[in-house]
Amino acid sequence: MTIVACSTPPGTSGIAVVRISGKDAIKNVSNFIKDCPFNEKSPGSKICLLVDKDGLIFDEAVVTSYLGPNSYTGENLVEVSCHGNPNIISKIIDLSVGGGASLAEPGEFTKRAFLNGRLDLSEAESVSAIIHSKSIAGVKAGVKNLKGGLSKKIGLIKSDLVSVVANLEFNLDISEEDLQPNLIKNSKGALSKSVETLKSCVDAFNETRMFQLGASVVILGPPNAGKSTLFNLLVNKNQSIVTEIEGTTRDVVEKNINIDGLPILLKDTAGIRESNNRVEKIGVERSLAEEKNADLVIYLNNAGRSFSKDKYIHVFNKSDINTPDGDYDVIISAKTGDNIQKLKETIYKALINEDIEHDTFLTSKRQCIAVESALKHVKDALSLLLGGDSLELIVEDINRSIDFLDSITSKTTKDDVLDEVFSSFCVGK
Amino acid sequence: MKHIKNKYDLVVVGGGHAGIEASLIAHKRGIKTILVSMDKNSVGRTSCNPAVGGLAKGQMVKEVDVLGGIMGFFADLSTLQSKTLNKSKGRSVWSPRSQIDKNLYEKIAQEYIKEKNLDVFEGEVVSLDVKNNSVSGVFLKDGSKIVCSSVILTCGTFLNGLIHIGSKQINAGRYGEKRAEGITENLNSLGLKSGRLKTGTPPRIKRSSVDWKMGDAGFGDKIPSPLSYRTENFKPKDEPCFSFRTNENTHDIIMNNLSSSAMYSGKNMATGPRYCPSIEDKVYKFNQNPSHVLQLEPEWSKSEQIYVNGFSTSLEEKIQLNSLKTVKGLENVEFIRPGYAIEYDFFYPSQLKNTLESKAVSGLFMAGQINGTSGYEEASSQGIMAGINASCFILKEDPLVLKRNDAYIGVLVDDLILKDTNEPYRMFTSRAEYRLQLRSSNADQRLLEISKKYKLLNEKTLDKLSEKIEKTLDVVNYLNENNINPEAINKRLNKLKEKEIGEPTRMANILKRPGVLIADLGVEVLELKNNLSKHMKNEILFEAETIIKYSGYINRQKEEIDKIKIYENMIIPDNFDYNKIKSLSNESREKFINIKPQTVGQAQRINGIRPSDISILLVYLKRPFHVK
Repeated sequence: MTIVACSTPPGTSGIAVVRISGKDAIKNVSNFIKDCPFNEKSPGSKICLLVDKDGLIFDEAVVTSYLGPNSYTGENLVEVSCHGNPNIISKIIDLSVGGGASLAEPGEFTKRAFLNGRLDLSEAESVSAIIHSKSIAGVKAGVKNLKGGLSKKIGLIKSDLVSVVANLEFNLDISEEDLQPNLIKNSKGALSKSVETLKSCVDAFNETRMFQLGASVVILGPPNAGKSTLFNLLVNKNQSIVTEIEGTTRDVVEKNINIDGLPILLKDTAGIRESNNRVEKIGVERSLAEEKNADLVIYLNNAGRSFSKDKYIHVFNKSDINTPDGDYDVIISAKTGDNIQKLKETIYKALINEDIEHDTFLTSKRQCIAVESALKHVKDALSLLLGGDSLELIVEDINRSIDFLDSITSKTTKDDVLDEVFSSFCVGK
Repeated sequence: MKHIKNKYDLVVVGGGHAGIEASLIAHKRGIKTILVSMDKNSVGRTSCNPAVGGLAKGQMVKEVDVLGGIMGFFADLSTLQSKTLNKSKGRSVWSPRSQIDKNLYEKIAQEYIKEKNLDVFEGEVVSLDVKNNSVSGVFLKDGSKIVCSSVILTCGTFLNGLIHIGSKQINAGRYGEKRAEGITENLNSLGLKSGRLKTGTPPRIKRSSVDWKMGDAGFGDKIPSPLSYRTENFKPKDEPCFSFRTNENTHDIIMNNLSSSAMYSGKNMATGPRYCPSIEDKVYKFNQNPSHVLQLEPEWSKSEQIYVNGFSTSLEEKIQLNSLKTVKGLENVEFIRPGYAIEYDFFYPSQLKNTLESKAVSGLFMAGQINGTSGYEEASSQGIMAGINASCFILKEDPLVLKRNDAYIGVLVDDLILKDTNEPYRMFTSRAEYRLQLRSSNADQRLLEISKKYKLLNEKTLDKLSEKIEKTLDVVNYLNENNINPEAINKRLNKLKEKEIGEPTRMANILKRPGVLIADLGVEVLELKNNLSKHMKNEILFEAETIIKYSGYINRQKEEIDKIKIYENMIIPDNFDYNKIKSLSNESREKFINIKPQTVGQAQRINGIRPSDISILLVYLKRPFHVK
C-alpha cells in the first residue's frame, strides 16, 4: 500500500513537502510529474514540473526519490518540495490518491520505519520528540537518541545490573564455597552507582521536558510591584496594561519567550492582597493557582516571605527609585531595564541544573516512567542488600528493574546472565 | 523378517534415567510397553557422579516424584549421605541432594522393574519403521522388528559414542560398553538434524591408595531430607566425602601437557559444557585460582572405588596420574580407571513439540541426553514427560505441557524446544524466572492436581499429599486470620532483636519479619492427626511459614504471569507464512521458520529475537488483512 501526506504544517508557507511512501511510490508520482526522470533503477533529486490530468503545469518543485530499504520508511519514498500554497498541496495529494495511493494516518511514516526495522522503539519516540520539540536543545536530544544514544546509555546501566545479577546467581546456583569474599560490598557499590545514573536520567528528563514543552514561569508579588512592567520588558512588547493603579491586572496574561534557547511560557498575574472586590478576588485565586503549578516563580518585592529555594527567585524591582528592604537574589529596574540580563541568567540557571550532563535524554513520558520504575526496584534491591535479606529476593528486584530498562531498548535474556557467569567464574559441579 | 514377542503400544529405547521413567509411567498408565536395552544388567546405571539432586536438580527430582516418577524413591533407598544445599541462602534455592550407592541404585531399579512386570528386552535398535511420517515399529540389529505405535528414544551418550583419553580414542557408549550405531543415520535420512556434543568424567581411584588424614571430612545433615514423597522414616547412612585441594604443582603439570587433552585442545570436534569444566579448562581459563577443590566421594557403601569430583579430564592417563599425585594426600594414588571425555550424537531439540514428540515424525518422542541435556535429573524429567505424553498420544488424550511457572520441568522443556543449545543443557535455578515459586518444598502443591488428572500416583500417596497440602493451607489461614498479643510475643521478639509490638497483631505479619519462625510464635497452629508423621508435621509448618514469608513477591509474580498469559494464549497458526512479513529482520524470520513457535509467548522467548520483531508479529496476527 502506498501512502501520501503533507509532512509540513498546514497553511500557507514558503515551501511544503508532500511525502509518498510505498512500493509504487515512484510510479505514483510519475502521474503528475512532467517527463518523470526517476524510475526504480535511478532515484535521485531533480527540479520537476508538476502537471494535472490535462497536462497543465501547476507548479515547479524539487523532487527527491529514495529506493527502499535505504529511505526513512525503509520502502520506496518520494518527497515533493512544492510551493506552500494549500491549493497546490491538495492538488498533489488528489493526483497521488487518484494514482492509487491512500492518505497516511498520523505517524504512519514513522510506524512504517519501525515496522521495517529502520528504527527501534526508543528511536521512533525520538522522532516524535524532534517534531514536537520547541527548542533547539530539545531537537538535539532527539537527534542524539535517534542515533542510538539513549539505547547506549541504558545499555551501560543494564550491563552493570546484569553483572551484579550474574555474581549473585553464581553464589546461588553454583558455589557452595566462599569464592566471592567481596560479593556484598561489590554489589552494593554497583547498585549505588546504578541508582545515581538512573536518577540523573530522570533529572535530565525533567530538564529536557522543559526544553521540549517549555517551562512555566510566573511573576508574582504584591500589587504595584511592577510585575506587568517586567512582563512587558521580558516579552519585548506592551502586552500587559501598566498603570499606577493597584490591581490593574486581574487575569493571568501569558506569552512564549525564549531565554538562551529555553522555551518559557511567561505569566503575568494579579497582585496578591486581601480584597473585597469579587473580580480581584478571583484574580488573586488564579495567581495562587499559577504559583502552585509553576516550574519557577519570580517573586517581586517581598522580602518577608521565606521560600523554598528551588522554585523561587526573589527579585527586588524599582531599583531606580527605591533601595532594597531585605535580602534579594537579584535587584533590577524593570522600568530602566537595569540588571535584566542578570535576571535572565538567574532564571535559566534556576530551571536548568548545570551539573547534569546534557549528553543523553529520555524523550518520552513512557521512557521516563520505565526508568523511574527501574530506579525504584534498584533502590529496593539495595535496601534489601543493606538489610541482609536473602540474595534471591535481591535478584528478583534487580531483574525487575532490568525488565523495565528492556522496555526502552532491547531485551536481556537469561542466557545473557549465564554467559556472564560462565565467562567470569570457574563453574564447578 | 521375523517378528519378536507381541505387538507393543510403546517401545522405549534405552534403560538410563530417562528410559526408566518413561517406560514405568507408561506401563503404570496401562500402556503395553517394552524397554529395549543393549545390556539388561546396565539398566539404571549412574554413569558419572554418585549423587542425585543438588542445586535446581533436587527441585526437579521432587517434581518428577509428584508426577509419578521413581528417581527420588530409588535415591532415597540407596542414600549414603543426605544434605540440603544452599541452606545459608533463601528457601527457594534450598536443594536436597543425596550421595548414593551406585551399585545399590542399579540393583533396586532392576528389581523394581521386574516387580512391576515391565517387559525388558536385550537388543540393539538400529532404525525406526516410519510410514507416512509416523512411526510404526523399530528394527533390531538381528533384523527382527517390534511393531508399535509410539517410540521413545533415550539413547544417552551411546549414539556413535567416542571416548577420548589423551590421544587414545575408543568407540564406546560408556567406559567398557558398546556404542549404538544406525539410529543417527536413520533419523538423518528422515530429515532430523543432529550434532555432536561432549562431556567428561573424572578418574576413579582406589580408596586404599589415599592418605585420608589429609582431607577434610564432610558429613550430611542431622535431619536428612528425602527426595521422594513416598519415603517414610528416612534414616540414611551418613558416610563422609572428603575434600582435597590441587596446588601450583598440579597446575604446572596440566599446563605443560594441555596439548595432550582432547577436552582442551579442540581435537574433540564437539562442544563441551562451560559449567563443570574439565580440570584442564579450569587451570587454563581461571589461572588466577591457585587451587581447586577435589571432592573424593565413595561410589558405593565403603567402596574401594572412589570418584574424584572436580577432576573431569581427558588428558593422557599418565599425566592424569602424575598431576593427581601432586595433591597432598594423593601422593600414592592408584587408578581403577582414568578420566575420559565422550563425544556423542544429539538431535537439535527445537525439532520437538512441547510434548517432546518430533514435529516431523508422529509418534516419535525423545528424552534425555539425545536432546542435548546433561545430568541424571534433567534426563529423568524429560523421561517422565515423554512417557506421559506418549501414553496420551496412544490413548488419544490431551497432552501434558507444564508451564514455566508450574515446574523446573516446564522451564527445561520450554528452553529445549526454543533455544538451540550448542553445549549440553544443565538446569540452573537462575533459568527459572519464577524461581521463588518453584521450591523443592512445594512440588506437591504445584503438581498434585496434574497428577490426579493424569492418574500418575497411587491412592495412598495421593491421599497423603492431599492432606499435607490441605493442612498447610489451614495453617496459612490460621496465621493470616489470628492475632497474637504483645505480652505473648514481645519477650521472644526482644530476644531475636526484633522490634516489639504495641498492640495485638496478625501472626502472619510478625512471621514476615526475616528473623522470625513459626516456632517463635509459641502457639500450636496445627492439629496433629495420628497418621501424620513428625517429619510431615515439620514439612507442613515449614511450607506454611515460607508461603507467608514470600507472599509479597509471589503475588507480584502472579500479576506478571497474568499479564503475559495473553501472549501464551495467542496462537500462531501452523501454516503461518513468515516470508510474507517483509519487515521482519532476517535473523528473526529464519528462527521463526526453523523453530515454528506455537504461541507468541514462545516466539518471545526464542534467543536473539528483537522486541520490535514481536511487535511486528503482533501487528500481523491482529490484522490479518495486512498479509496479502
